[in-house]
Amino acid sequence: MASKFGLAGGIPERRVRPIWDAIDSRQFKNALKHSTSLLAKCPNSPYALALKSLILERMGKSDEALSVCLNAKDLLYKNDSLLMDDLTLSTLQIVFQRLDRLDLATGCYEYACSKFPSNLDLMMGLFNCYVREYSFVKQQQTAIKMYKLVGEERFLLWAVCSIQLQVFCGNGGEKLAMLAEGLLKKHVASHSLHEPEALIVYISILEQQARYGDALEILSGKLGSLLIIEVDKLRIQGKLLARSGDYATGADIYEKILELCPDDWECFLHYLGCLLEDGSSWSNGVHNDPINPQKSVDCKVSQLPDEVFHSRISTSLAFVKKLQADTSDDFIRCPYLAILEIERRKKLHGKGNDDDIVEALMLYFLKFGHLASFSSDVEAFLQVLTPDKKMEFLAKLMKTLDSPATVPTKALGQSITIFKIQELTGNLYKLPVLELESCAVQMVKMYCKSLPLSKDLDPQESMHGEELLSMVCNVLVQLFWRTRHLGYFIEAIMVLEFGLTIRRYIWQYKILLLHLYSHLGVISLAYEWYKSLDMKNILMETVSHHILPQMLVSPLWGDLNNLLKDYLKFMDDHFRESADLTFLAYRHRNYSKVIEFVQFKERLQRSNQYLVARVETSVLQLKQKADNIEEEEDVLKNLNSGVHFVELSNEIGSKTLTFNEDFHSRPWWTPTTEKNYLLGPFEGLSYCPKENLTKEREENVRRVVEKKSLLPRMIYLSIHSASASLKESVEENGSKSGSKISSELKFLLEHHAKMLGYSLSDAVEVVMGVSSGVKSFEAFGSDEIDWINFAVFLNAWNLNSHEPLQPDRDQCGRGIWHVVDTLLVKYISEKIKSMESLVCSPRVDLPILVQLVTEPLAWHGLVIQSCVRSSLPSGKKKKKGGSMDQHSSLVLNGVRDSIQSLCDILKEVAKWIRGQIDRPEDESVENILSSLRKKEQDEGPGRVFHVLESLIPSINEAEHGGRICQELKTWSALDVARKIVTGDSTLLSQFLNICESKIKSFQALKQQISSDIKCVLLNVFPLISRHFVPALGAAYDLELLPYLSATERVEWIVQALHRWTRSLP
Amino acid sequence: MTTIRRFSCNDLLRFASVNLDHLTETFNMSFYMTYLARWPDYFHVADGPGNKVMGYIMGKVEGQGESWHGHVTAVTVATEYRRQQLAKKLMNLLEEISDKIDKAYFVDLFVRASNTPAIKMYEKVWFFEFFLYLDISCWLIIPSL
Repeated sequence: MASKFGLAGGIPERRVRPIWDAIDSRQFKNALKHSTSLLAKCPNSPYALALKSLILERMGKSDEALSVCLNAKDLLYKNDSLLMDDLTLSTLQIVFQRLDRLDLATGCYEYACSKFPSNLDLMMGLFNCYVREYSFVKQQQTAIKMYKLVGEERFLLWAVCSIQLQVFCGNGGEKLAMLAEGLLKKHVASHSLHEPEALIVYISILEQQARYGDALEILSGKLGSLLIIEVDKLRIQGKLLARSGDYATGADIYEKILELCPDDWECFLHYLGCLLEDGSSWSNGVHNDPINPQKSVDCKVSQLPDEVFHSRISTSLAFVKKLQADTSDDFIRCPYLAILEIERRKKLHGKGNDDDIVEALMLYFLKFGHLASFSSDVEAFLQVLTPDKKMEFLAKLMKTLDSPATVPTKALGQSITIFKIQELTGNLYKLPVLELESCAVQMVKMYCKSLPLSKDLDPQESMHGEELLSMVCNVLVQLFWRTRHLGYFIEAIMVLEFGLTIRRYIWQYKILLLHLYSHLGVISLAYEWYKSLDMKNILMETVSHHILPQMLVSPLWGDLNNLLKDYLKFMDDHFRESADLTFLAYRHRNYSKVIEFVQFKERLQRSNQYLVARVETSVLQLKQKADNIEEEEDVLKNLNSGVHFVELSNEIGSKTLTFNEDFHSRPWWTPTTEKNYLLGPFEGLSYCPKENLTKEREENVRRVVEKKSLLPRMIYLSIHSASASLKESVEENGSKSGSKISSELKFLLEHHAKMLGYSLSDAVEVVMGVSSGVKSFEAFGSDEIDWINFAVFLNAWNLNSHEPLQPDRDQCGRGIWHVVDTLLVKYISEKIKSMESLVCSPRVDLPILVQLVTEPLAWHGLVIQSCVRSSLPSGKKKKKGGSMDQHSSLVLNGVRDSIQSLCDILKEVAKWIRGQIDRPEDESVENILSSLRKKEQDEGPGRVFHVLESLIPSINEAEHGGRICQELKTWSALDVARKIVTGDSTLLSQFLNICESKIKSFQALKQQISSDIKCVLLNVFPLISRHFVPALGAAYDLELLPYLSATERVEWIVQALHRWTRSLP
Repeated sequence: MTTIRRFSCNDLLRFASVNLDHLTETFNMSFYMTYLARWPDYFHVADGPGNKVMGYIMGKVEGQGESWHGHVTAVTVATEYRRQQLAKKLMNLLEEISDKIDKAYFVDLFVRASNTPAIKMYEKVWFFEFFLYLDISCWLIIPSL
C-alpha cells in the first residue's frame, strides 16, 4: 500500500501504518483495534472505513464488511470536498470483489472518474474494473479516453486489445478489426511503435483481415527491428508469405530458419508445405483443437503437375541432405525424419512406394532406434504402410538384433524400440497365446538383464529399460482378455509393483496399476496410487479422468468428496483470479497474453469435466444425506431445489463444451473414460490411437449431464409429491401446489423417458414388464440405474397423481410400490449372485451394486420417509372424508411392505459383504498367489512372475549396485497379495457402513409406523372409532399404549379389534 | 526434433506427461500466468513430432544494476525425450534471450541439493563461477554469453 506525500487516503501515513502491518501479518484482531481507534479520530474518513471493511472481510464477517464498505462509499459520494483517491477506491474495490460485488466497485470508480475526468490513476482503476467484469466495450471506451488524455502507446494498445476481445470472445463483428487497424495506423504515422508486442498485435490484426502483404511490408520495414530474435521474425514472415500464397518466397524463408534451427520439425513441415504449394498446415482446420492436435500433418494431395512435383521433391531432398551434412550434433533428428515425411508425401501423390518408406524407416532406426522417442517419432509414418509392409519392416528390424550395438544402453534401447514397434503395428497381439506369453517372458528377462546398467544411477533418475515392465503389463492384460484367466491380471499387478519396489517414482507404472486395481474392483488401492501421483492444480483438469469416473460409482464418499472439492476449488479460484492476471498482462504490455488469458478462462469454464463435477458434487451430497429426509431437504435448499440444474439440463444441448483431458497416458484397454475393452469379449485389439475421440465423447457427456442434472429436482419433487398425497387435510392451496408438483414431475418424467429413448407410456410399459418378469433386465440395456431411478420417480409422481399410469389397468391408488420394490430386490439380488469373490474374477458388477443402493434405493427411501413423515398425526385437524383416508392407508400399506423388502434386500447385501470381509485373509492371499505359482516351462500365468522371483537370489551389490539390492530386499509378493485383500476389505467396509446406515434408517421408519398404529388403524377403518371400540378408546385415554413396545402395541390393538368384531351381531 | 516456441496457456493442458514426473512441480495457475504475463520471452516449450510436449523452461529477468540477471525457475523434460540434450538447448535459449533482449549480466537458478541428476546435468552444461550450497538448495550462477 503505497502513499504519496506521507498521506494515505487523506490520513497521515504514520496513523495507518500499524493497521497495514497488522493486516500483512494476518493479525486481524489487532488490526481491528487499531482501525477502531483511527475511526474514533477520523469517523468520516472513507479510507479508514474501507480499511475496517477490509479487516472485517478477512475475519469472515462478510455482512458487516459490506455494510461498512457501503457506508464508506456513501461518504465518498456525499461529500464532494473529500479526496477521491485511488488508494481508498482500490481498497473498497478489493473488499467488494471479495464479497462478489464487482458492480459496486465499478460504480465507485465510474463515479470517481466522472468527478475527476483527467485523473489517469482513477481511469486505470476503472479500466481494471471493466477487465474484471469482462466488459470489453467499456474497456475499449476507457482506454481510448486515457489514450486521448496522455497519448501513450500502451493505452492505445489496451483499446486495441479490448477491440480484439470483442471479436474473439464477444459479439463484435469483423469490422471492428478495421477500426483497430485504423487506430494503430494513425498512431504509427505520428508516433511509430516502441514495443515488440505492439507490433505483434498490429500484424495479427492485419492477418485477421487477410492483409498479408501489408503485414509483410510493416515487418520488413523499420518496425521489424522491434523483433530482436531473428528466427522469431522469420517465422512470422514465413507464415504470412505462405498464407498470402507466395509459396516460393515462403520456402526460402523456411530454408533460412532451418539453417539456423535444423531440428525444427514444424518449420520443416511448413517448408515442405510451401514447396508443394499446400497451405493445409496454416489453415485453421489443423489448429481446431490446440490441446489434441493431429499426429501427422493434415496435407492435401498436391495438385502440382508431376514434373513440378518431382522437381520440388528433389529440391527438398537436396536441402535435407545438405542439412544432414552440415550438422554435427548427434541429437538432431529433424533432417533424418524429414526423409520419411518426403516419402510419405510422394506416396500421397501416388508417386512413392512403401519400399522407400520402409527403407527410410530403417535408416532412421539405425541412427535413432535406441532413443525412447523413436516409436512416437515414426508412429504417423507406420500408419501409411500396408499390413504386409509393416511386417516386412518388423522383419528387417528383427534382423538388426543379430548384430546389436556395441554400447549396451544403445543395444537395449534398440531392442525396446523393436518391442514398441511390434506393439504399434498390432503384430504382438496376433501371436498365439503361448508365443505372446513367451514374448512377455523375453521382455521381463531383458528387464532383469538391464538392471546392472542402472546400478550407478541416482534413484530419482529414470532407469534403463523401465518401459519394458509397462509393455509386459500390456501383454499380460491382453492375455487376460483373451483367456479370462485372472492369474495374468494378478501377474500384471505384481510386475508393476515389483518395478515400483526398485524405483518408487515411475508414474507410468502407477497409472497402469491404478487402472488394473480399478478394473479388479479394488478402487481403494487405485485411489492410493492416484494420490501418490500428487496431482494438483491444472493437472486436476487434465489427469483426474484416470480416477474420477470410478470414484463416482464407488462407496468411497469421503475421498470422492475431497477429489471433487479440490478440483472445483482450483477451477473456481482460477475463474476468480484470472481477470487480475489479465490486467497484469495489460500492465506489462504483453498484449498477446491478454487475449490468450481471456480465451483460456473461457476454455476452462466450458470444460465438460467441470460441468460434470458440479453436477456430481450435488448428487454426492444428496446420496450422503439420503438416510435423513430433513438433512436431505437442507441439501436441496442449498441447491435451490434443483432448479438451476434443470436449467443446465435444458441448456446443455446448445453449450459448447471443451475437452481438456490428456488421454495419452491411459492404457490401451481403456483409451477413454467411457471405454473399457476388458468388459467385452476379445476383439483382437491392442492399440487404440487416442486421436479424434472428442466427438464421440461429446455426445455421451451431454447425455450424462442432461440426465444427472435432473436428479436433484426430481428428488425434490418426489419428496413433495409423496407428502402431498398424504397430507392430513386437503386444503385448497395444498391441492393447488400438489397438482403443480404433479405436473412438473410428470414433465420431467417425460423428459427422462425421452432420454431413455421412449415415450412416457412406453417407458411405463417397459418398467412394468421387467418388474413382472415379462421382460428381462436386458430391456434396460446399460442404462439400468436410470431406468430404476425412473421407476422410483414414477411411483412418487403416481402417489399424488389422479391420472392412471396405465389407463386400462386399475392401480386403486396403491401406486407402483410393488413394481419399484420388485425391480430393486430382483436387480440387487441378481448382482449379488453374479459377483464372485475377488480372487475369482474382477468385480465389475460392484459399482452397479453400489449405485443401486446409493441411488435408486436411496431415492426410493426418501419417498418412503416423506410418506411416513406426512402420515404422522400432526395435531388437531380433523379429517374431512373417508376417501383420502383410504388412499392414505393404501399408501401406508405400500410403504410398510416397501420398507420390509428394502430392509431385507439390504440385509442380503450386508450379508454378502460380511461374507467377503470375513473370509480368512490368509486363505484369500493364498488364492491370489497360487494363480502365479508356475514353473517357467508351464503354460499359463506365472511364467513372467517366475522370472522376476528367480532374479532375487541372484541379486548382488557388485553387479546391481547397493541401492537396487537394498530395495529388492523389501520386495514381497505376499505383501502385495495382502495389500489387495486389505484394500478390498477397506472398500467393502465402506459399502457395508452405507448399507448398515440405510438398514438402521429403515428400521427406525418401521418402528415409527408401528408406534403410530393408532393413526394407521383409524385410517384403514374410518368407521372404527373409540365409540365402537371401547377398550381401544380407554387405552388411549389412559395413555397406556405409549408404554408398550411397538410389537406389544400392535398385538394389543389387534386383540381389541378381535374382541370388538366378535361382539358384533 | 525440437520446435521451441513461446509457451502458451493451452500448453498447460498438454504438459501432463512432463509434469507427472515427481521432480517437476505443478505450480498454481497464478504462478504460471504471472510468468506469462510478465516474462513471456522466458517461458518456452519444446514440441516434438506428433505435437508432443518434449519439455519446457520458465524463467524471468530481475535484479538491479549489476545484478540484473536472468533466472531459471524451472526446466524439465519428459521421460521419453531425456538423454537428448534438450534441457541444454532450452537453457541456452534462455541465456540468449536474457543476453540479447534484456542485456542481463548472468543467469542463475536454484536447485534442490537432493536433485543430484539435475545438478549433474548443470555441471555438464556450464562452467560455474559460483557454486553456493544453501541448506536445502544449490544456487548456481551461470555466466551469460
